Amino acid sequence: MKKIEINPMTRLEGHGKITIFLDEQGNVDNVFMQVVEFMGYEKFLIGMPIEEVPRTVSTICGV
Amino acid sequence: MAWEPRLIVIACHWCTYAGADLAGSLRYYYPATVHIIRVPCSGRVEPEFIAEALQRGADGVFIGGCHFGDCHYKEGNYKAIRRFKLLKRALTELGVDPDRVQLEWISGSEGKKFAETMTAFDARIRELGPNPMKGGA
Amino acid sequence: MSKPKLAYYLAGGCGGCDIAVVDLSETLVDVALAVDIVFWAPTVADAKYKDLEAMPDGSIDVGLISGNIRNSEHEHIAHVMRKKCKTLIAFGICATNGGIKGLVNLYTTQQLLEKAYIDTLSTDNPNKELPQTSITLDGKYELTLPSLMYARPLNQVVNVDYYIGGCPPHYEHVKKAFTALLSGQLPPPGSWITMGKAVCEVCGRNPVLQGKPKKFATTVKRTIEGVPSEDGCLLEEGYLCLGPVTQGDCGSKCPAANVPCRGCGGPIPGVKDYSLRAISAIASMLENEELVEQIPDPIHLFYRYTLPSSFPYKRLKS
Repeated sequence: MKKIEINPMTRLEGHGKITIFLDEQGNVDNVFMQVVEFMGYEKFLIGMPIEEVPRTVSTICGV
Repeated sequence: MAWEPRLIVIACHWCTYAGADLAGSLRYYYPATVHIIRVPCSGRVEPEFIAEALQRGADGVFIGGCHFGDCHYKEGNYKAIRRFKLLKRALTELGVDPDRVQLEWISGSEGKKFAETMTAFDARIRELGPNPMKGGA
Repeated sequence: MSKPKLAYYLAGGCGGCDIAVVDLSETLVDVALAVDIVFWAPTVADAKYKDLEAMPDGSIDVGLISGNIRNSEHEHIAHVMRKKCKTLIAFGICATNGGIKGLVNLYTTQQLLEKAYIDTLSTDNPNKELPQTSITLDGKYELTLPSLMYARPLNQVVNVDYYIGGCPPHYEHVKKAFTALLSGQLPPPGSWITMGKAVCEVCGRNPVLQGKPKKFATTVKRTIEGVPSEDGCLLEEGYLCLGPVTQGDCGSKCPAANVPCRGCGGPIPGVKDYSLRAISAIASMLENEELVEQIPDPIHLFYRYTLPSSFPYKRLKS
């Protein structure tokens, strides 16, 4: 089926993608939104002294 | 050809390098896998030297300096031990085997000790195997 | 004469550097009038990747990339930006050295995904599903995701012309950098755009600038232990400030706020490997070697902003 990809989603922090599937008549059959990035803070912060964590996790989103 | 370890020894001019020289004069055998780099003082050794050696494929890095109180520049060896300990802590956590990087104080009159230490270092590195970073990074 | 063209791409970063440019506030108006912003994704402008790919090669005068290169999409667009831009600048410490998001190199992708999607307490994922690079839902909807790789700074992927550090770069420094860019007064390609001073040289707590002698640190303290003095050096008091090896373009804002520097500005000129030089500097400033054992967590301290660009670049074995 025909696929339209809108990549990236804009005017926000982060990477997202919208995929629109059209059927034979050209009508929208289904739409999916995917978050295209992955960070991993849950794992790599383990072991950090607790008082340093607020300064560090502010970089999850700088906006 | 079987793997032969490549060991880098950073030796301070006033003590360890003289000790290595003495080992030669007294005909104490030590392995030919040892490559010695002379520096004025063990305090000259930056963690970056050790990292560069390991990155370029050295299988082991050894730092030799004067005993406490004997440093020609008074405090160089104190700085060396502090930097070395912190570096070793960091590298061990990051997956570098701690026995690949060693530091010992060997004076100019300890030729026999130099030979014995090098033989033991070579044996230990042979047990550990080739540097996993060889050819990578 | 046409205005120079500017493009900005946010790769594996947080968008803080984008906001650092927006923080120019009144100066931004002058910048926006002086340049033609043709692409700023995904944060500010509604431009798509295919618009960037459609531009002719070498048609953009200045390209800024912030964030490290973490997945195949970032890598692809970084290569596209390199082709389309005459001058490419690594903007912010993530692009120059890997940044905080570079700490993912401590673990494998599988370990990171499992922790985030399965092992965390508040996650509801009974089938233990992890994201896949391609999946077909209901037999007809094909969806793809870029593949994850270990984090790299920009210069391990493409050639970089200039580097600007900071997390984010302070807006005063961004102002100076943009002024230098627009007037063409730049250092030789491949260098950092910086005033070249360490944090200590611009810090109000520096004992030497106050005429007092420097002293070794006699204790090692976490920032929750004790209270820092009004205007004494934080490193001397044991708080392990990384000021001596960090660029001071920020004007030493953190020590002025009673918090030790953590090295977000990047290495001072002449230092290639920031974390190792920081290890050397801090260890040399301690009074004896027992204090080295008391440092709580050397990895998250010295490698916080620069793991992908400092030996050994990632954890060698788990």
